[in-house]
Amino acid sequence: MPPHSTPSPAATVERSGAHVATPAHAPQIRKPLSRDDLEAILAVTRALAAPFDLPTMLAEVTTAAMRVLHAERCSVWLHDAATDELVAEISSDIGRIRIPFGRGLVGACATSRALINVPDCYEDPRFDTATDRSSGFRTRCSLTLPLIDHRGELVGAMQVLNKDGGVFGADDEALAQALAAQCAVALSRVRMTEALLEGEKLKRELELAHAVQLGALPASMPVVPGYDMHATFLPAAQTGGDTYDLALVDQGLLVVLGDATGHGIAPALLVMQMHAMLRMALRMGADLEAAFRLVNDRLAETLADDRFVTAFIGLLDPATHRLRFLSGGQGPILHWRAASRTCDVHGPTSFPLGAMPIARLRPAVELEMAPGDVLALLSDGIYEYPGPGGALFGEARVTDILRACADQPASRLADRLLAAALAFAGGAPQDDDVTLVLLKREGAAAARRSFARSIDAIDEIVAFAEASTASLAPAQRESIHFVIEELFTNMVKYTPDGAPRMSIEIACLGDGADVTLIDTDVDKFDPTTEPDARVDLPIEQRTPGGLGLHVSRRLVESLTYAYDFARREGRTSFRIGRPAC
Amino acid sequence: MLTLEDGADGIVRIAGRLDAAQAPAAQAHLDRLAGVVTLDCKRLDYISSAGLGVLLKTQKRLLASAGKLRLIGVGPHIRDIFAYSGFDQVFEIEAAD
Repeated sequence: MPPHSTPSPAATVERSGAHVATPAHAPQIRKPLSRDDLEAILAVTRALAAPFDLPTMLAEVTTAAMRVLHAERCSVWLHDAATDELVAEISSDIGRIRIPFGRGLVGACATSRALINVPDCYEDPRFDTATDRSSGFRTRCSLTLPLIDHRGELVGAMQVLNKDGGVFGADDEALAQALAAQCAVALSRVRMTEALLEGEKLKRELELAHAVQLGALPASMPVVPGYDMHATFLPAAQTGGDTYDLALVDQGLLVVLGDATGHGIAPALLVMQMHAMLRMALRMGADLEAAFRLVNDRLAETLADDRFVTAFIGLLDPATHRLRFLSGGQGPILHWRAASRTCDVHGPTSFPLGAMPIARLRPAVELEMAPGDVLALLSDGIYEYPGPGGALFGEARVTDILRACADQPASRLADRLLAAALAFAGGAPQDDDVTLVLLKREGAAAARRSFARSIDAIDEIVAFAEASTASLAPAQRESIHFVIEELFTNMVKYTPDGAPRMSIEIACLGDGADVTLIDTDVDKFDPTTEPDARVDLPIEQRTPGGLGLHVSRRLVESLTYAYDFARREGRTSFRIGRPAC
Repeated sequence: MLTLEDGADGIVRIAGRLDAAQAPAAQAHLDRLAGVVTLDCKRLDYISSAGLGVLLKTQKRLLASAGKLRLIGVGPHIRDIFAYSGFDQVFEIEAAD
């Protein structure tokens, strides 16, 4: 049956002269039901108790209603709570129609939640003749009932038109109400089932998204001598788009923290795509800038206009401890400096990846990871962790924790940060992904001093080394002195006069030390490639040449050399570990 | 700092640090000795390759004139360095007690 649309407001029943009854769960039947009527109602009841989909159920109801009430037409309108409209899902001659609450007889019925019985529709100001005109149907009388479920919620309205040979009477009203009560409960059940199924679908999608998101993360932490790294990823229930990467590539240690827009499977796939492109670009030999630009421009080409990924992409050279990064919309980037006990805060270098092609790339930021320094990359899930009264966890709380705990292992530091955020939230649920990537250079804050490039500086160096390694075992200290002296005397021997002073950096570890000799404005000389001395020759053929490095190599746990051509700077680093038993 | 002391018993006692800075002084001292020279290393705290060079040069010179350099009282760390450098085959070494 067509909906009736009238500009009149919800009319009162008295004014329209219609009969009104409040919906009753046990309507009074004034005359005995015919056997046919009873069977029709029982058939509906049975049908409604069986599993069904919405169209089947509605067809059952309308067919039964027409039969029981001897009506020419029947329509069922569903209440769309989201828009506060009534939607005719089924109508014998018209497709789906929406009407706002309060309009037409159906709208009036839904608003008043009361039955409306109109013996002559064309006499009722609420009746809209437009539908009749378009369908060619002639509506005489109508009976409209609210559908109210067992919880008292309005789920829709039912309307029957044109009683065979007359108008709808009180008996019809009672019958219709019995039917409407059944219909309302069944409708409510269908809707709940659908919501449940929708929920299941969403749940499966979320599970898939989580799996994809986790699959994009590195399976294990790369091992980089002298560095302690830790990553924590806590996905929110309604998954966000956080991701990270820590991997050794030819260019150094790749460090990534990203967050793709959106929730569900789409951002999970997006971060997967970003990782793949980035790894591929680096494998093909791209430098940081080229890789960053490539990932951005490819994403900009393919992503929808409203989607992007914020991402920090950094490359650490573990030999020089220089970390260069570009950050598309990801920040703040915290660099805890152990020596000064201060925190440098860097912002992003550009807009988020994929937002648009990069016309001009800002230069990468370079920072030096000194011993004890921590690079803290935290997703906005931490900074924006909500606390009481809408306050956010914020940057200051993070730097406070760095100040208090930066000397602890990275995993412990991560635990502290998370515990603090949780305590701050006071039990509020986590509503965004939380990701922490902490990169820590091992060692206490290093002692560093510069020395003249002269053999006479040895006493001064010994005093410095003594003072900087007081916590170590005598054998370790002897080894440190030996290796420093060997490397230093080489520098003195092979460096032209007039070169600037060299520097020595000593960082004590728990059970050893990292020592670096930094030699600037010099040619490249890599002590790690010098051949061993021939120590098995007869004495006449023995010379002291090469012995220093030969022995040094046997005292250290590791010896590395890095040369920066741009700065003409050589860095020779060695680690003295636990003394051999 | 480094000191070398010729004892009345003919034993040369070396004390302190034999590093690159001290090597020339040590060389000058050892250059004056001849025959079989016993060097007591009990109080030698440290030796670098420059120090090893001094000892090697001295050993070569003494061996050429039927003498030699004996090392006694060598501590564990310096003994390791001698071992790593093959000097345990060049000198007669007596470990510290």
